[in-house]
Formats: sequence, structure tokens, C-alpha cells
Amino acid sequence: MASNSRRLEGKVAIITGCNRGIGASLLASFAAQGATVIAAARRNSPEFQQRIAALTHDFNCAIKPIFFDAADESAVKEALRAVLAEVPHIDILVNNAGIAHGGLLSMTPLSRVREVFQVNYFGPLAVTQVVSRKMIRQRSGVIVNVSSVAGLDPNPGNCAYGASKAALAYVTGVLAKELAEYNIRVNAVAPGLVSTQMADAMEFDAREQMVASSAMKRLGDPSEIADAVLYLCSEKASFVSGQVIRVDGGM
Amino acid sequence: MTAITKYHEVFCKVLGVSEDVLPMLVYQSIESWDSVGHMALMASLEEMFEIAFDTDDIIDFSSYSKGLEILKKYGVQF
Repeated sequence: MASNSRRLEGKVAIITGCNRGIGASLLASFAAQGATVIAAARRNSPEFQQRIAALTHDFNCAIKPIFFDAADESAVKEALRAVLAEVPHIDILVNNAGIAHGGLLSMTPLSRVREVFQVNYFGPLAVTQVVSRKMIRQRSGVIVNVSSVAGLDPNPGNCAYGASKAALAYVTGVLAKELAEYNIRVNAVAPGLVSTQMADAMEFDAREQMVASSAMKRLGDPSEIADAVLYLCSEKASFVSGQVIRVDGGM
Repeated sequence: MTAITKYHEVFCKVLGVSEDVLPMLVYQSIESWDSVGHMALMASLEEMFEIAFDTDDIIDFSSYSKGLEILKKYGVQF
């Protein structure tokens, strides 16, 4: 299978959290567009390797898996520095890795809030610190953060996950201004409820309520989030920076 | 080109200064060495010497002379 329009041919992209959910879909979409993908995941598995082998074969592209825990800053830096030394340029970074947590503040240990922030906010910052320096040297690059509507719409139960995604959305605008000088665009997508294991883990009533309150009254497909990220990474979005684009079926 | 020549070249090119002022140069002592100029300087030094600074070293890189010390940590021989 080969794509007719390989919009990312010749581009090198780093995508975090590639093992499942939106990240797995991002990996497939970027591979289909001909990008060379550095696919970061927390841990290796036979299924992940099989998926990579299939994508590499189907789309005639290169995928290099790397493994680190986004909560471990030194592991992030070590893994990225090693891989960045191997590639001549890095064109795209998608900060997708994240963990979920739902619960009222009175029922959420602060240790859990810190853990969520470590992965969902400090992890992307650590990755961006390393990758953006190579982009600064190149004077080009695109960064997309995967935030969430939970970070834009304050609702009960979102003191950890929602707040961490709000921080990520906020810093997107900050970095867009800091890095524009180097021809680096920084944007975010804010997915609504998407058909992933993360959504499956929600309480049934809460999930149904979210779906019912959306204009389109359905879950999103991970590929629909990947399409929005692809747009932001493409030349079609050459004048788009500092934006948080909701991809939520009209919530 | 020697390491010190490369070091001087990066400073002069990125910050737009002449070589004779380099020994006295400290961060934010001139208009071009502000935070944006600092990141451009770090990026150019990384490129010139094929290294990747730790964030702590980028913060500590407060002067021309401090930079020499820091670069030595990365194996650059002056």
C-alpha cells in the first residue's frame, strides 16, 4: 500500500507516546505520508515492533523506535541526544505522550497530581528543550503538543489531567513566541473524547454524558486527531503558530 | 582552525562584536547578548563544536571566560 500524496517525504519527525491510542494513529499517519519517524514509547513490546515492521513495509518509510519514560528527565535527554546525533535534521516534534487521571481534588493525592504533571507537562518540556535546540540551529521546525479539551474547559474531576493539559496549552503560546525568531512554529491540538483505551477507562456515565453534550454526538477516531496534527505540521499551516485547535466534534 | 579561533568566530558572528572586546564580555552587558542572543550563541557553539549543552550549562554560561570553562567539560581543548 502506498499513499498518493506523501506530504512528509524527506521530513524527520519525533512522536512521543507511539505505542497506543492517538500516538499509534499518529505513527501510522506520518508513516503513510513518507516521514522518517523516531517513534518514542515508554517500553518495547512485540506488538509495537510488529506494528513498526508492518508500517515500514506498507509505506516504504523508516521508523526508529526509542524508549524512555517521559517522567524521567535524564532518560529523556539521554535517549534524545543519542538519536538526534544520528539524524541530519529534525523537522517535526509531536509531544503526544500522556497519562490520564480523573478524580475530585478531595479524592486525589497530590503525589498523583505531580505524577500526571511529570508526564503530561514536564515530560514535553524536557523533550522540547532538547529537540528545539537542534531546530534552533537549523533555523526551522514544527512542534505540535497534544493537549486536551479537558485543559480548556474546567470541569469537576480534572484537577490533575485537565490542569496538566491546560499548562501544555499555555506553554504552546509561550514557545510559539520564543521560537518564532528561529522559524519554528509551535501549535497544539485539543482532542475531545476519542476512541482510545484512555476513553475506555472513563466511567461509563461520564463518557456518555460527554458524547451526548457534543454537537456530533460520537467519539472521535484517533485518525481524526492525527489529521489535524498532520495539517499543523504541513506547509499548509505555514502561517499558523501559537494556536490550540480543538478537534472535538463540537463540544 | 584552532578551538579558540572557532570560539571567537562564533561570538563575533552571533553577537556582532569585535574580537578585542571578547575577554570582558558578560551576559547582558551588550544589547545583542540578551536571552534571544544567548540561545543563538548556544546553538552556534553546539554546531561549531558538535556538542549538546546541558540546560544547567546554558544557564551557567554567563561570560566569555565562563564559556571557556564550560566547553572544556565537553572535551574542547583550548
